[in-house]
Amino acid sequence: MLFLEKLLRSKVVVWTLLVLPGLWPLWPIFVTKNSSVLADPLKVVLHHLGFTACVLLATVLTFSPLRVLWPKWGVALALNRHRRLVGVSAFVYAALHFTTHLIYEGGTDVAALPSILRTALKKPFQLTGLITFAILLVLAITSLHVFVRWLGGKRWKNLHRLAYVAAALATYHQAAARKIFPMQVVWIFGPLVVLEVARVIRQRRGVA
Amino acid sequence: MLIHTPKDWALRESAATPETIYRNRRAFLKTLGLAGTAFAARDLLGATGGFPTKVNAAFRDPALKPTAYDHITSYNNFYEFGTSKEEPVVLANRGWKSEPWTVELAGLINAPQKLDVNDLVAKMGGVEQRVYRHRCVEAWSMVVPWDGFPLAKLVALADPKPEAKFLKMTTFLDPKSAPGQRERNLDYPYVEGLRLDEATNELAFIATGIYGKPIPNQNGAPLRLVTPWKYGFKGVKSIVKFEFVAKQPRGTWEVMQAREYGFYANVNPNVDHPRWTQASEKVIGGGLTRQRTLMFNGYEKQVAGLYQGMNLEKNY
Repeated sequence: MLFLEKLLRSKVVVWTLLVLPGLWPLWPIFVTKNSSVLADPLKVVLHHLGFTACVLLATVLTFSPLRVLWPKWGVALALNRHRRLVGVSAFVYAALHFTTHLIYEGGTDVAALPSILRTALKKPFQLTGLITFAILLVLAITSLHVFVRWLGGKRWKNLHRLAYVAAALATYHQAAARKIFPMQVVWIFGPLVVLEVARVIRQRRGVA
Repeated sequence: MLIHTPKDWALRESAATPETIYRNRRAFLKTLGLAGTAFAARDLLGATGGFPTKVNAAFRDPALKPTAYDHITSYNNFYEFGTSKEEPVVLANRGWKSEPWTVELAGLINAPQKLDVNDLVAKMGGVEQRVYRHRCVEAWSMVVPWDGFPLAKLVALADPKPEAKFLKMTTFLDPKSAPGQRERNLDYPYVEGLRLDEATNELAFIATGIYGKPIPNQNGAPLRLVTPWKYGFKGVKSIVKFEFVAKQPRGTWEVMQAREYGFYANVNPNVDHPRWTQASEKVIGGGLTRQRTLMFNGYEKQVAGLYQGMNLEKNY
């Protein structure tokens, strides 16, 4: 466990863990040249980036309940050193996912943008994705130290609770992306729900 | 003087698919070694494999460029064999047998019968090739050279009684071989239906092959429906039963989510899916290419008459 703790303290390790998943689609596209993937490679990239953003968003939100539940556990403490980095990377993946969506729908034609955005506003499936992205954008910008100071600790903390709203919206967005309910949504966001419930119970008991 | 007026979608001889496309693909399959042998064996042994196909020039738009065989046969929606695009090509070829295959004609008809799929194809007078657009409800499209026979011929063989108004088609049910049916990811067996006048429209087609080869398992072997003016999910695969009925049948996707998937499922760029737009479509194998979706998927002249006076926003 000490080894894992040391590993997770390392920025190099964490950066690698954050960047590598994004590169995964390169494998079927350029190495194995899977004909199913090559039928519509951009869609595979689009879905994969969204998937990674969801996983990272759910992951970063588990850090603080892990620390509350196991305050002396070194791994939880190590993870909590990287909250900002992991959170910002969730935003980066969401931004890449959104950009890929724009290219997927409109190609390189800038004139297509207004109609793509209009469609996004009309469809709850797409709108939830857009709002999630907007929240992550605000949180990423305000994660700079200057904003922490400018807002003050308490206001900053309240603002960053929007991350939970983003997670809820992302859950809906991901579930609605397929024609039938995709079980992966449960695997990604289920553990987070369990940990949050456990944390709330723990904190209530602590107060009492 | 006899003047031959070709139909407006007819093709000049010069625009036929170059033979090199076929040859290149064959050469490619050969290089696959073992896999190539397996494919070659299917050519000979596959159900409906013994029927030479002939191009029907009347159903081949010169502007259409057929999608590569490899994409058509590896990018599939066949939920019986998994919900992702790449699973069916693997899971439908792990022991599920699409031959021998018995087809049943049943319901309100004068000639109910059960027959082997090869006997059926023989009775239909063999197979012909048509090149059709294929538009999925998920907003992507292909162009597929299907081999098969007009559904109208099968309807004539069944000889429906006057009270028959709809044709209900059912896919096989074999949870032991089909993992998706074990998981019950949909309400199986898969059912789709057409109004009888839709079923006898000249475009409605039963496919038994692709690019002149027996249709692979993942594409719905040994026979499937092709209605090119409708979204792809109407094209029920691996059919075991054609039943003529008086009441409008409910399709599997309609049962699943009636608000999103209607009985008609006609391709219509003006009626959105609740979660995405249907105004345009991604071209499979076309890189970044996206194209505008055409009314009735470009077959307005042939099928618009079927829906005259109907509100297509209500009857989606």
